[in-house]
Amino acid sequence: MAEEEVAAEVEAVEAVYGEDCVVLNPFPPHLKVHIKPRTADVSSQQFVEATIGIQANSKYPDEPPIVTIVDSKGLDEQRQNHLITSIRDRAAELSSCLMLVALCEEAVEKLSSMNHPDGDCPLCLYPLLVEEEGSTSMPFMKLMSCFHCFHCECIIRWYSWLQTRKEVDHDNTAGRHEDEDNKGQCPVCRKVFLPKDIEHVLHLAGTSDFSSVENDVVDEEDILLSNSEKERRQKFEAILKLQQENSGLIEPKRHEVLLPGVYLPRPAPTPAAISDKEAKDQQSENAAENSGTTPGGSSNRPSTSKHRNFPAKKHYRGRGRNPGKNASKWTPKESGAAS
Amino acid sequence: MTSPSPSARKGLSKIACNRLQKELVEWQVNPPAGFKHKVTDNLQRWVIEVNGAPGTLYANETYQLQVDFPEHYPMEAPQVIFLPPAPLHPHIYSNGHICLDILYDSWSPAMTVSSICISILSMLSSSTVKQRPADNDRYVKNCRNGRSPKETRWWFHDDKV
Ligand SMILES: [Zn+2]
Ligand SMILES: [Zn+2]
Repeated sequence: MAEEEVAAEVEAVEAVYGEDCVVLNPFPPHLKVHIKPRTADVSSQQFVEATIGIQANSKYPDEPPIVTIVDSKGLDEQRQNHLITSIRDRAAELSSCLMLVALCEEAVEKLSSMNHPDGDCPLCLYPLLVEEEGSTSMPFMKLMSCFHCFHCECIIRWYSWLQTRKEVDHDNTAGRHEDEDNKGQCPVCRKVFLPKDIEHVLHLAGTSDFSSVENDVVDEEDILLSNSEKERRQKFEAILKLQQENSGLIEPKRHEVLLPGVYLPRPAPTPAAISDKEAKDQQSENAAENSGTTPGGSSNRPSTSKHRNFPAKKHYRGRGRNPGKNASKWTPKESGAAS
Repeated sequence: MTSPSPSARKGLSKIACNRLQKELVEWQVNPPAGFKHKVTDNLQRWVIEVNGAPGTLYANETYQLQVDFPEHYPMEAPQVIFLPPAPLHPHIYSNGHICLDILYDSWSPAMTVSSICISILSMLSSSTVKQRPADNDRYVKNCRNGRSPKETRWWFHDDKV
């Protein structure tokens, strides 16, 4: 096929994806495309995204391009495989046709069908979304930096614990640098987040004073009895009640709730609101996916994504992946070892 | 090293209890390869049998891990030690203390007993020599009063093992 035709196709991808498309090489085409689910024009309703690499050789389109996932958020290994397999299958189907746009569309399609938080809260190990009729879900939230989701209550409890710990460690009573000291790390991937990333939940739950309740190790009973905690509880329960009718996400700044893949009635700010048909398709697909998941299936375990996501810290040690690599040694520090 | 550690003296909080029960169920459905949980009625202390991976220095050897959970697990890391005899390994002291970052500073509440086990097996499997840490005797002497490894300030330095 003529080089001009391929060049025109690359231009078409650029036209469709705009800034989300980076052309590394026009011919043979080598692109990186940032793919978002179709339902995700509102960032708080987006739970997955991926950057795919498409690299063709000079025999394209007679030979299909190589497709890889360069980066992704919210997708565990199983869902990444699902995405890449469906794109590769599509490439095989379209063999010797110009297929760059179609492959990107396939990725959008798959991501749209997977645009729901997956599995369990990594902190309490209970499901984020309870699908059974009659049961209710705890409110949950998403860290914007990495798309890892947690029950609000779970992440607040942990964040407060960290803050309390830091106060004990540093014993700093005045002149705290808010952003420096209150930084948190995602428990799953250790990506740093700022207090503002979870403050919408803190605010909703009225826990802004939670971390300063005790200056020693937090004792669960004490917190439960303290007035501020009672107040927090009441507020939390009010929100819980509000959320229970719909089960779902507590989002930054808004009090919306979310079902997977479905917009709840509210004025759609963009023309890309999901159609009824798509919503139904997604629901059935979600249901199918969920029914195929055994309780406690390995795909949903936080450890799975952790294996993939933990950035190699300096003293990180291999987790069954690369035995023999990163061999490093810890020894007891003198001061601690001497008694 | 069978006395309760200071951090495990207190009973488990309700949150810790719920989480551990969940982990136990998960373990029963899907135990990490090479490990066997020895069933007791004590949720706060797990004893786990470890089988050295085939093709490694520890193949056909069996060891026992003792995992004690603190009141505020999983906010706090569990205390994990080998019951005697501990495997001969450059990062494992003869008193069973294990020099592994995730058990101390690098602990995260998203880790589980299962993921700890996988890390420990990986640490065993990567060993190329069966020997104690260089400072074994001094360290073990300092721990005589039954100190928990969690009270040790582990100090990392680069070392080509
Ligand atoms: Zn949770
Ligand atoms: Zn994360």
